[in-house]
Amino acid sequence: MNYLRRILTIVGKDIAAEIRTKEMMNSMIVFVLLTLVIFNFAFGERLEGAAEASAGILWVAFLFAAVLGLNRVFVHEKDEGCLDGLMLCPVDRSVIYFGKALASLIFISVVELIALPIFAIFFIRTSFLVNLWLLILVLILSNVGIAAVGTLLSAISINTKARDLMLPILFFPVIVPILIAAVKSTGLIISSPSLPGDVFVWLRMLAIYDIIFMLVGFLTFEYVLEE
Amino acid sequence: MRDWIQRILFWLSLIGIIVSIFMIFFYAPIDRNLGIVQKIFYFHLPVAITPYLAFFVVFICSIFFLWKRERRWDVIALASAEIGLVIDTALLVTGTIWDKPTWGVWWVWEPRLTTSLIMWLLYAGYLLLRRSVGEEARRARFAAVYGIVAFISVPISFMSIRWWRTLHPLVFKPTGIELEPPMVFTVFVCLIAFFLFYLCLLRQRIGLEFLREGIEDLKDRFGGG
Repeated sequence: MNYLRRILTIVGKDIAAEIRTKEMMNSMIVFVLLTLVIFNFAFGERLEGAAEASAGILWVAFLFAAVLGLNRVFVHEKDEGCLDGLMLCPVDRSVIYFGKALASLIFISVVELIALPIFAIFFIRTSFLVNLWLLILVLILSNVGIAAVGTLLSAISINTKARDLMLPILFFPVIVPILIAAVKSTGLIISSPSLPGDVFVWLRMLAIYDIIFMLVGFLTFEYVLEE
Repeated sequence: MRDWIQRILFWLSLIGIIVSIFMIFFYAPIDRNLGIVQKIFYFHLPVAITPYLAFFVVFICSIFFLWKRERRWDVIALASAEIGLVIDTALLVTGTIWDKPTWGVWWVWEPRLTTSLIMWLLYAGYLLLRRSVGEEARRARFAAVYGIVAFISVPISFMSIRWWRTLHPLVFKPTGIELEPPMVFTVFVCLIAFFLFYLCLLRQRIGLEFLREGIEDLKDRFGGG
């Protein structure tokens, strides 16, 4: 279990740094709220009772906030020279990958859990609390995929000249299946208390995506961090 | 063009394309339902298949580059990505022209068309990434990793878009094309001609990249600006 402990050490370091500075989470939360408000003005009353459309808004807000956070994953590591320190550690490169990905997963999930009730108050007019566990499952599965792809691509984009500009360009086309599956399943869950079977098709899609891209990240990350 | 393989490829693809154009207009019969518009199909099909082939080449070369660390794999990947992107653009254009008479609108969020668009965005990102990394070794590594990630995401995107569509059935049903034997034969010839054309472009682009590198080397050696 040495491997797991090393991963958790990196996660612990990231969480400690984030608790002290709070710069990433604070801006992500405010950003999500701003996006929800802007969408409200952009679509207005057409959103009343349109559960699937509001699910789309929720996920656009979450994805944009995730990119905002993922952009920061390696900024401090790079600028303060911590990345060199991490690379000098006598651990496998995949430990760094999983550590960073798990930390991003935690940050994104916390932001979403804070934003979700506010979204519900703003946009949802039906009772969806019966299936709350399922909605949380959708969030977790989607976030695993987002963090798995995002951490890998963030490590690439931080080393380019365009930096922050590069990540969304690389990230969004790869993440399309997650967006589709997350929007569809969220829409189905919040639109009616009875559970349609289609939800599980999308959950399976999310799980397959997660497994494939965790594997790809695990196999290719060492080539990104090789100097 | 001193390279004789390249010369043969050039002439073969030129003759192939001339023969396919001739066959499209004079050999293959005019489609009963769609009329003359159906002719675009002979161009559309090879154009639809070639990007997948080109991006598959990018994928394979990316893996080989990370494994063997030889410059040429990176150069082939770059060449294939550029050509794939150009042909994908042609696919999107012919696709919209094809949509108009068959479905009545220019664009349908239909799985194959949508996947081509996402593929276009993926590989536009790939080329932008290459431009954004100055150092050569690093550029090749990053591009290889993204070349792998992008290609793996294509079938997953296709699947998710298809499910997204089947759970929400299409408003516009595509009109079925019944292919007669001369039509099938024409499509086959077009496919081969286009494949040769891709190979010809690929070799040309690879040669160009090596020439460019040669010039950089000479500049470094003689201190030219």
